[in-house]
Amino acid sequence: MGIFITSMGIISPVGCSIHDTMNAIRNATPGIKPLRLFPTGQTPPLPVGEISSLSFIDDVPRTHALARIAAEEAMKDAGDAPDAVVIGVTTGGMSVTEELLKTGILDPDKYKYHSTGSVGEYVARHVECNGPVLTVSTACSSGAVALKIALEMLRSGKAKQVLAGGVDALCRLTYYGFHALQLVDETGAHPFDRKRRGMSVGEGAAMLLLTAAESPPQNALSELLGAGLSCDAYHPAAPHPEGLGALTAMQDALSDARISPADIDYIHLHGTGTVDNDLAEARAIHTLFRDRPIPPLSSQKGAIGHSLAAAGAMGAVVSTLSITNSIIPANTGFHDPDPLLNLIPAVKPVEANVTTVLANSFGFGGNNAVLVLGHPQRRKSSPTPMRTARPVHLAVLGSACFTGAGNAKRTIECLGHGEGVRGIVPSPEILKLLSEKYVRRLKRLCRMVLSLAVSACEGHEKTDPPLAVYFGTGWGGMSETYDFLSKLYASEEQFTSPTDFIGSVHNAAAGHVAIRFQSTGPNVTTTGGDCSFEHALYSASLLSHDTDTPLLVIGADEYHDTLSHLFDASVAREGFPADGGGALYLRPATSESPLQICLSFIAYTGNNRNTISELISTLGGAKRINDQFGAILTGIPAAQRESGEAQLNTFLSMTGYPHPVIDYRRFVGEFATASAVAAVLAVSFIQADEIPANVCREHSLPLRGRGILVLGFGSHISAVEITP
Amino acid sequence: MNELINELKVKIIEALNLIDVVPQNIDENAQLIGGDLGLDSIDVLELVMMLEKDYGVKIDSRELGAKVFASVAALADYVHHYQSGKSN
Repeated sequence: MGIFITSMGIISPVGCSIHDTMNAIRNATPGIKPLRLFPTGQTPPLPVGEISSLSFIDDVPRTHALARIAAEEAMKDAGDAPDAVVIGVTTGGMSVTEELLKTGILDPDKYKYHSTGSVGEYVARHVECNGPVLTVSTACSSGAVALKIALEMLRSGKAKQVLAGGVDALCRLTYYGFHALQLVDETGAHPFDRKRRGMSVGEGAAMLLLTAAESPPQNALSELLGAGLSCDAYHPAAPHPEGLGALTAMQDALSDARISPADIDYIHLHGTGTVDNDLAEARAIHTLFRDRPIPPLSSQKGAIGHSLAAAGAMGAVVSTLSITNSIIPANTGFHDPDPLLNLIPAVKPVEANVTTVLANSFGFGGNNAVLVLGHPQRRKSSPTPMRTARPVHLAVLGSACFTGAGNAKRTIECLGHGEGVRGIVPSPEILKLLSEKYVRRLKRLCRMVLSLAVSACEGHEKTDPPLAVYFGTGWGGMSETYDFLSKLYASEEQFTSPTDFIGSVHNAAAGHVAIRFQSTGPNVTTTGGDCSFEHALYSASLLSHDTDTPLLVIGADEYHDTLSHLFDASVAREGFPADGGGALYLRPATSESPLQICLSFIAYTGNNRNTISELISTLGGAKRINDQFGAILTGIPAAQRESGEAQLNTFLSMTGYPHPVIDYRRFVGEFATASAVAAVLAVSFIQADEIPANVCREHSLPLRGRGILVLGFGSHISAVEITP
Repeated sequence: MNELINELKVKIIEALNLIDVVPQNIDENAQLIGGDLGLDSIDVLELVMMLEKDYGVKIDSRELGAKVFASVAALADYVHHYQSGKSN
């Protein structure tokens, strides 16, 4: 079996279609110019990769518009809707949010497209996808990580066609953020050049339709042969100086593709143009190839800038064009070789037979993702065997949660006494397991996540630390985002905090967890709104199929005085401040594992399709549900109360479910990852084999060896099985 | 100069959220980055912003940064000369 790229769409500063992009590659068209999108106060605009002629179709932020253009091009000849959408995004509706906050407009309705998750949902509505719609936010590797997740989804047989890619739009946060880090070259990026001084921030979108097939379909453009993910676990914003994480990701990608370095004809470099990134990447490439000849290589970022979450997907598109058009694209901006890098990229487009491409993407948090793409008919390796479609069960070895009451123990005590637990997690509780000196630069969400991780891994940290980290968050670090923009506006767009920029990146918390535990495996952050934790669990199960190493799955969100009400419609509707989260220390389960968790169903409901019968059948039918699960914990976000309750009632009437159904958001509160708390509570209840008094009835409820089903309703429907 | 050194110490503590550190704890001649205070490259960038905002001092290269942030005394010296150079 193979996973083939059967169509693609792209929009970048040098072209609004595949056709235009190919012409731009042939002509090595430069696309970097001084910023025009927003005024830059007293300072002259920096060079950026800006898309100048963007026509908006709906009243949506720039990111959404870019994603739709690329998705429509990718889907224009596709017959059926894709089974899933996986999209890398970091900016979401930030460009609009910035304007609103700057002008003091505080109407929550205006912020409805703020979330990164809303981009994938917008795309899913247009392409009529009714399956999983996942959002990946791992900074500049997001697009490539999204493609890896799509690849595993297809290999597992859970989907036949997946639309995957990445998108980001220029906004103040990224423009000023990278500048504050002194990572922007004021003369425009010239990757791999001796005089390089930094990147040019850019924007764009690339979407690819991936199709699983026994043999190459007629319209196959390339084959996604493999992909590797790793984490440096070294620094929040700088790469490992020797490129160790990059090297691991390249090695894993090659081994996943079942090929060796000698099979590579072209390396599509990450090549941002920053001093340290290019050096780390060069060192990793030298180590990978040792004394073997290094194939031609080039970075596109001197021509189009760094489109952040789109970059990895754009890399996949350009790599495919390189294969289909037999061309090595030019490394625009390169003039003067750097002896330290000891690599000379292609200075102009070169005709060459290209069969196999290695495409690199690296991001903040030391987040690395590498893809291997090949000619659809000229595979150099044996095909990948099809995996089982059975969902991967993970054994629960440790857990922790935070609610307004405090930790899991305190939360369960309070619930048992009939006391409320919804509220803001007390700060001293978060700091209990952390050294305040160590976390001096971290704000609320990062601290909460790190504390949850330490608590869930208690007893295992030294002997068996987690190798991979999966983190779901609806909103990321709101404190850092707010503080960054506040400082920027207070200084008339002159000064801001580099520390806040680093912390505002959605995957910042997962990066800190990796540094703490030296978790050098996959480090995936998912930001799918109220389903973010479930998406993290889903990603964990997809990427853990052939390992037996421990991992962490975490879900957490912070409450922010100003932003929570503006961003989260459920908070705006409920009005009661609450935050928290949960963490699970897991390992792929064996038949002897006593307590297991499994994400068995996930689907987007934005196209109004009735998925309840599909949910019931995936769970094994009414009889299995009624026999195996002693209780249901159900999560219905306040903003989707009516539709969610209707979905739940349909589920209950179709199954005739006889046991208690606990509406956990009523006592945990409204925050996007409340389901992470529910999962941890379910683990505790199963361990005690009872649900304590006052949770669902006056007396405690014995579970009699049965499990608990955590169901999510609303715009995404999800089912998490937790079984003894 | 002593006044400027003390002022810078207070600003460093505040800008970098240095828990449990008081100005007297900072030896103005000791290595500032990578020393006992546990400061690194991100802290340097935070200080670059603070210096530009509060003193109008621009530090836009790594080489200059390494010299300026060698110690609090070196930093005070640079700020002092930058400001007197500007007023001349």
